[in-house]
Amino acid sequence: MNSACIDIRNLNVFYDGHTALKNISLSIPHRQITAIIGPSGCGKTTLLRSINRLIDFSDGVKVSGEILVDGQNILGPKADVTSLRKKIGLISQKPSPLPMSVYDNVAYGPRIHGMRDKKELDKTVRNCLETAGLWEELKDRLRTSATKLSVGQQQRLCLARSLAVKPEILLCDEPTSALDPVSSQNIENKLAELKKYYTIVIVTHNIHQAMRLADYVVHLYLGELVEYGPANEVFQKPKEDRTRAYINGTAFKELEIDSQINLKGKVCPLNFVFAKEALETRCREEWKPTARR
Amino acid sequence: MTVDQGNNIITLNTVSKKTIVSRRRLAELVSTRLMLAATAFVGALVLIIAIGLFLKARPILEANSLGELLFSSTWRPSRGEFGFFPFIMGTLWVTILAGLIAMPISILGALYLAEYAPKRISALMKPAIDLLAGIPPVVYGIWGLLALAIGGINIGFNVLTGGIVLAIMVIPVIMSVSEEVFRMVPQEIKEASLAIGATKWETAKNVVIRNSLPGLAAATILGFSRAFGETMAVLMVVGNIARVPSSVLDPAYPLTALIANNYGEMMSIPLYDSALLLAALILFLAVVFFNVAARLVLAKIQQRWA
Amino acid sequence: MHRRRVEEAIFKGLMIASITIVAGSLLSIVAILAWKGLPALNIAMVTQTPKGGYYLGKEGGILNAIVGSLYLATGATVLAFIISLMVALFLQREYIGKTRFAGLVRLSLDILWGIPSIVYGAFGFAIMLYMGIRASLLGGIIVLTLLEIPILTRALDEVVRMIPKDLKEASYALGTTRLETSFKVVARQALPGIITAVLLAFGRGIGDAASILFTAGYTDRIPTSLFDPVASLPLAIFFQLGTPFPEVQARAYASAVILLVIILSISIVSRLLTKRLARNTVK
Ligand SMILES: Nc1ncnc2c1ncn2[C@@H]1O[C@H](COP(=O)(O)OP(=O)(O)OP(=O)(O)O)[C@@H](O)[C@H]1O
Ligand SMILES: [Mg+2]
Repeated sequence: MNSACIDIRNLNVFYDGHTALKNISLSIPHRQITAIIGPSGCGKTTLLRSINRLIDFSDGVKVSGEILVDGQNILGPKADVTSLRKKIGLISQKPSPLPMSVYDNVAYGPRIHGMRDKKELDKTVRNCLETAGLWEELKDRLRTSATKLSVGQQQRLCLARSLAVKPEILLCDEPTSALDPVSSQNIENKLAELKKYYTIVIVTHNIHQAMRLADYVVHLYLGELVEYGPANEVFQKPKEDRTRAYINGTAFKELEIDSQINLKGKVCPLNFVFAKEALETRCREEWKPTARR
Repeated sequence: MTVDQGNNIITLNTVSKKTIVSRRRLAELVSTRLMLAATAFVGALVLIIAIGLFLKARPILEANSLGELLFSSTWRPSRGEFGFFPFIMGTLWVTILAGLIAMPISILGALYLAEYAPKRISALMKPAIDLLAGIPPVVYGIWGLLALAIGGINIGFNVLTGGIVLAIMVIPVIMSVSEEVFRMVPQEIKEASLAIGATKWETAKNVVIRNSLPGLAAATILGFSRAFGETMAVLMVVGNIARVPSSVLDPAYPLTALIANNYGEMMSIPLYDSALLLAALILFLAVVFFNVAARLVLAKIQQRWA
Repeated sequence: MHRRRVEEAIFKGLMIASITIVAGSLLSIVAILAWKGLPALNIAMVTQTPKGGYYLGKEGGILNAIVGSLYLATGATVLAFIISLMVALFLQREYIGKTRFAGLVRLSLDILWGIPSIVYGAFGFAIMLYMGIRASLLGGIIVLTLLEIPILTRALDEVVRMIPKDLKEASYALGTTRLETSFKVVARQALPGIITAVLLAFGRGIGDAASILFTAGYTDRIPTSLFDPVASLPLAIFFQLGTPFPEVQARAYASAVILLVIILSISIVSRLLTKRLARNTVK
């Protein structure tokens, strides 16, 4: 049953000459949750955007290699990008509601793909909003502008909007980064349920979330694939030192964390704080760090 | 099991889905072609106009030498003498005077609105400037007539009147673009200057204006090309006498006014219509020259700034 | 220190003077037109076409010119909008993006924007002579369309380019085509800007005289077909002003008031609509 659903072969992505993904090869199994972990800026979003070709919209980007979805190379010239994107939904890191009402946001996809019947649309919208855990909150406000929702609500709305086109694969880029613990818990539960019907790829900075959810784990580091395999193996006995360092927050000599995690000025994930501290303690003699006294 | 179920759902809808997909694909294809056609048309329009004007102007270019056409001051169409010099000078005088008046006023005004003015005043001035930009040339012409040329100040029909009317017409164009450019200067840079003890004006002069130079250049070019091609408003107040003006108080006869006053009624005189289209061609080439030169200069400036 | 203060004061004074000049000229335009035009304004001006001897000071109005101008500007704006919207959307990244072709089209648009309207008029008339078309509503509409295309396309291009990228990507992620995203998301988000641009172009179309001086002709009747000549407000003003009779000249001022009122209403409508429509867009 674990037939591969997405097969990535020798994928390279360059932005204006600088390499964002180096020679990635992996297969993402059917109807499982695959988690992509790794420090900020390591290319997780880039990988997701390659899988549904949204990468086409980045400036100065060059992609080489193959991504096979159901045996067809979606990077090839003959790929039908439009139907590909319907099949592979992507929920982006930053929620982006379309400039229309809540209802129209969810109905946007189905309408475009040919659903006209009012009743059917109503049902789809309701189902999707329920799945995303928004129905109770918003059932009286379906006609208000989606841009007025809170960020967390927008995030869930984007999930509902993606579900509405009945994708087969869901790519979620940090779906819970804008949510409170309870809502994240809800989303996690939903994803665990949805796994029955969808192949799910999720990017997360939260190792515990990955441990709770993932069947498979992909660890990226500075654009390279470090380790990849079933979750229990990777989490329990990682083959790679760097993975162990990332998971346990223990030190690893080669980590140039400082420069890397501050790339985007983002708050670094908790385990990196550990990793950094460990690094400093261990290397104190050699490095003479300017750290706090 | 679940796999089959999923597949079932898809196969059930296959027929209707296929037609929808192909219809959508067709719409995409057709629309892309149409858009390409429209874009190609717009891209080619400049060429079409250039060729059309050139073909029409060719008879006179063959009959008279270019030097004579451009630099002779005798304009006697009935005798076949077509010297454009007075008209070219008329256009230059009026345009340059308008630019000289409009530029400082627009830039200082824009600076005031962007940096100094209380919110209430800039909120009030914005629609006023937009409105001023939207007033038709004929109305400006009437205003010039009643307020400057005969009534009011009574300075007569000359370069000065034309220049003032044109300046008032282009000020809103330059001012609104400049204001936008000034507002784009990041707050931090201004604060950095204020923090070392510069006054507001010194900051405006050394930081805001300097940072906005490319944008100001673009705004000025917009204003100049608008003034340069204006017909109706100028026509009504410059006097229209085909002599090279020697001061701002002399009347002038710009190229645009020449065409407007004579085209359409000149069929009987040989080469007259060709001469007027040559005037149009001169205006056209000047616009092309402006634009290409502006691009090169802006690219240079931006290169230096980047 | 003293010198710096003085410099600051001088320039601040100059700035305030500049703004005063701008505000003052607007007020002066409105005041002079009202003073000269309002006395001659009456209901007949806007409800009647010129009767015999109108240009000698007898009865009638300029309904022909008002209607003519509306016909001309509406026709031209509709045509120009269709073409310009296609071009502006085509200039988006996902169509031709930053290619050489796009650069050439933008240069071409800049040049077209700068071409004086009298040149459009002369060029249009030359073409019409060549093709044997008389000065007519159709001719006027075509030339005005050419005049409006660069104005509208540049404005729309600007508006379309301001659309957040995330928004388009959100739509593409659902498997939409470029056409669908362009019309359902881009055009929708850009709607306030589009309306402003269209009304701006309409205003330019209704106020321009030089381009239709030869191509639209002039008539005292309201045109009934595209091939009839048509009167227009700016030209009505111009011609009435050109008569030696003070009564008719006063009517020119009154016509200018009418034109100004139309322009003012366009500007007000534009403001109201944009405010209204901006509610649903992403900030
Ligand atoms: N459009 C772009 N142009 C140029 N470089 C880019 C672009 N998008 C991403 N990059 C670079 O590619 C690398 C990978 O970026 P990516 O967004 O995939 O990281 P990420 O793993 O998703 O990080 P985060 O966890 O912060 O979201 C980074 O170094 C980033 O700076
Ligand atoms: Mg990311």
